[in-house]
Amino acid sequence: MNNNNHTTPVLQVDSLNVYYGSFHAVHNVSFEVRPGEIFGLLGPNGAGKTSTLSAVEGLLKPQSGNITVAGYSTREKPLYARANMGVQLQSTSFQPELTITEIIQLYAGIYGVDLSKEQVATILTNIKLQDSADKKYGQLSGGQQQRVSLVIATIHDPQLVLLDEPTTGLDPQSRRQLWIRIEAMRDKGHGILLTTHSMEEAEAVCDRIAIIDHGRIIATDTPQALIDGNRDKPEVIQASRKGKITLEDVFIGLTGTEVRS
Amino acid sequence: MPTTTIPSAGSVLSKLLRADLTTLWRNRRASLLVVLVPTVILISWKGLIPKIGAISVIANCITVGLTAIGLMGYTNMIARDRDKGIFQRLRVAPAPKWTIMTSRLAVQLMMILITTIVLFIVGYKFDGITLDARGYIAGLLISIVSGAVYLSLGQVIVGLIKNAETVNVVTRLVYFIFIMVGMFSDIGMLGNMMQKVAYWSPYGTVKHIVSAALAPATWNKDSSIALLVTLGYTAVFTVLGVKWFRWNTR
Repeated sequence: MNNNNHTTPVLQVDSLNVYYGSFHAVHNVSFEVRPGEIFGLLGPNGAGKTSTLSAVEGLLKPQSGNITVAGYSTREKPLYARANMGVQLQSTSFQPELTITEIIQLYAGIYGVDLSKEQVATILTNIKLQDSADKKYGQLSGGQQQRVSLVIATIHDPQLVLLDEPTTGLDPQSRRQLWIRIEAMRDKGHGILLTTHSMEEAEAVCDRIAIIDHGRIIATDTPQALIDGNRDKPEVIQASRKGKITLEDVFIGLTGTEVRS
Repeated sequence: MPTTTIPSAGSVLSKLLRADLTTLWRNRRASLLVVLVPTVILISWKGLIPKIGAISVIANCITVGLTAIGLMGYTNMIARDRDKGIFQRLRVAPAPKWTIMTSRLAVQLMMILITTIVLFIVGYKFDGITLDARGYIAGLLISIVSGAVYLSLGQVIVGLIKNAETVNVVTRLVYFIFIMVGMFSDIGMLGNMMQKVAYWSPYGTVKHIVSAALAPATWNKDSSIALLVTLGYTAVFTVLGVKWFRWNTR
């Protein structure tokens, strides 16, 4: 992690509340993501991760609370906030009829980035897709689509990058490559907020983690501090299967063993 | 804090328009089908010209084309892109929401103009239908006004139904009903009551104003009322379609 973690946060979430009808999905959630930090938002299915992320992205309007991205309120200056964030959503796609080059040019234009043909070629070479420049997005494999998606998320060099379960469906090689890219982004000073179901990955790459359950953040700290601070709890010890306490044991100890739908 | 610059809405719109036109071009087979159906009807209805008139024949075919563009082209494209999350990806970028929809609508308006022009040419070449210059110009303008009613109806359908497959089935069904009821009642096959219902339906009012626009000398009070009813349908469908529309399928 960079040493600039005491600078102004690139993302500040204060007292966020999201309702779906009478269902209170997110309760007074507050956290911040600093520059040069990978911040993991972990939680079981239906815990409120996606709702929190959607509120940050501007895809849903929270009932109360404040969100600022690079100093811009998502409520008052939504376009400016979005211009400062790069997003890789799990359930989104690009027009399958467009080629990768066309998609990169489209999104570069939307973010106000001028790219020459040479720059597009360099980008494609960096993600090892130089031979697929004229391939349509719909013809790419899952791993290739993920790489394109990550490139689009960072094409405008945003201060904040949001990654929603970025490694889902990837083979180990693609996953490893993706983490290298994400860590490289952190080293360049981007603040990264990600969700993942892989506790091993979260423990390995996240600088800080927030565990969310039933719409509330129940713990926030570095992975090691979360382990150290919870290792003596009976429910964590009970969750441990290998003797050594891991982040997954802490996660299950804090959120329970019940499978969520 | 570094200064943030966001591109102008016009610049974003031009990028989206370019992408949407490219998508339309790559899907040209589907677009061709939309133009082909009214074209085939126009050619095969040559024999009906002495019975119901050349203007009525071409007006019917233009109406069929407008129905196909609004209900099948636009609606299915919106349903598919929503289903795949393409809209969500655009919405997290600094693109104003209205630019996303305006670009889609602009592409469909272009399709309306192309279809109308193709039908003018085919009508002339195969059926010997000629209009005066005012008729061609008024026909093109009224096609755009009329096309809006089907685009807005499509918006209602895609607002009410989330599943892309169901949207596809429903639009085909509505398209089929419109064509069948509209055309058969026009020839008097469905009785007086049905003829009245069809006359004041979105199909009937559009067919009426397209007919009157193609022969501007025949535009009368009934045509103006049909135009007002068409605009009324468009307004109601637009309000409902925008109100009910959701950008995602969850």
